[in-house]
Amino acid sequence: MKRWGSTIVLVVLMGVLVGFPVYAQTGSTVEQEVKALKPGLSRFLLRGYAHSGFESYEKENSFVGGSFNPIFLWQQSDRLLFEGELEVALEDGTTTLGLEYANMSYIINKRMIVRVGKFLIPFGIFAERLHPRWINRLPSNPLGFNHGEQVGPAAALGAEIRGGAPLGTAKINYSVYIINGPSLNDGSETPEAAGMLHFDNYEDNNTNKAVGGRFGFLPFSSSALELGVSAQYAKVGNENSRYRDVAARLFALDLSLVKTVPAVRGIVDVKAQYSLTQVDDASYINPDKPETMYTFKNENAAYFIQGTFKPAFVANTFFQKLEFAGRYSAMTLAEGAAWGGQKNQWAVSLNYWLDWRTVVKFSYQYTDAPGAEAEAVEHEEEGTPLGGAFLIHWSFGF
Amino acid sequence: MYKRNLAIAVLMLAVVVGLTLLVACSSNKPLIAEKSGAQLWGENCVRCHNAPSPPAFNDYQWETIAIHMRVRASLTDEEVQKIVEFLKMAN
Repeated sequence: MKRWGSTIVLVVLMGVLVGFPVYAQTGSTVEQEVKALKPGLSRFLLRGYAHSGFESYEKENSFVGGSFNPIFLWQQSDRLLFEGELEVALEDGTTTLGLEYANMSYIINKRMIVRVGKFLIPFGIFAERLHPRWINRLPSNPLGFNHGEQVGPAAALGAEIRGGAPLGTAKINYSVYIINGPSLNDGSETPEAAGMLHFDNYEDNNTNKAVGGRFGFLPFSSSALELGVSAQYAKVGNENSRYRDVAARLFALDLSLVKTVPAVRGIVDVKAQYSLTQVDDASYINPDKPETMYTFKNENAAYFIQGTFKPAFVANTFFQKLEFAGRYSAMTLAEGAAWGGQKNQWAVSLNYWLDWRTVVKFSYQYTDAPGAEAEAVEHEEEGTPLGGAFLIHWSFGF
Repeated sequence: MYKRNLAIAVLMLAVVVGLTLLVACSSNKPLIAEKSGAQLWGENCVRCHNAPSPPAFNDYQWETIAIHMRVRASLTDEEVQKIVEFLKMAN
């Protein structure tokens, strides 16, 4: 019996002696593997969005989109961030690559961030917050918020200081920026566009810089309501031209309300923005009589109001994922200018959310140009097509 | 043009006042500092897009996204810290 006892003790001891290093090695390996998986202070993340769809206008219909926008986030430390967005799209049968933004942010303190590079301009809320395809509740942009028929800036090169702060039960956010600013088309190359502001001014046309900013106020602790006011000022004429002192003043008001309404078991979302640009009076080459000059009141306005309802708290899971959206937008371009005119648009959409960032939108919109001569409307090639249109889009955030 | 702009501005002001009263009547008013990360996640993300699902990203990815959204949406430092803590706990 004593002999058996000694044998058991010996076996246990051998087990411990042989097994311990194995166990220790296993633990060490796991630790090393975990350490290898843990990211360092420098972190890279690829996000973005994509969309595709079908659009049917009165005179044409086509599958569209097939575009995607990768967003590169490079976090250098707790305070340093690089963000860049590309847009890869098909246009007229060729693949185009555009730089939406690329900028570096540094968090100075709790209330202040400095940002330098090409960034989305906080002129109102649409360009900076609402334009991504998976965020925009309708397949199209409001009138005046599209490339080519733009009232106000969307992105620019420059520097910005921004931040947010609590204020009791309320909250504020702010942005102050300096950018190249828009350039004025003086009509020397395209007389029919004389007086227009071009916001893609990436190589500044003069030594003057635009200054602007936005102030947002959220009066309630629920952050449900946000009211914003934006302004920007710049001289916009070419440096060595008679227009060098022509200035542009830009203003915008915006509103955002997102509220859960228990009575209707859903979420109500209202967004609105009004943008106004005013350019100093100046005389331009008359495109109809090139030997003469003409002038006009160079004031442009665009606005939209959009409402959505999502019955997110009903019992039926199919209806939970539905969303109803409607939008009215209008754009008035300088009266008397060769490129002036007015457009209005109604748009409604029935959306189905496959998950929180993937949506299919079934939309109808009607665009009208009151006061426009039939001949001019007939020959209009640029901008949002007039008349009714069905749009079906699939947008995908990642 | 001036009259039209004035009319639009007055209309927007009326909408703002109306909505302000609507929200004021139905809003409790705790300090933002007293709110939980879950509350802030539910209230702030939906201002632009649907509230993200916590398992959509891992803890480290949420930290990077938080800085991105702090810059993009001008969220306060306090809100971002609490929202990230909630997302890490919930994913």
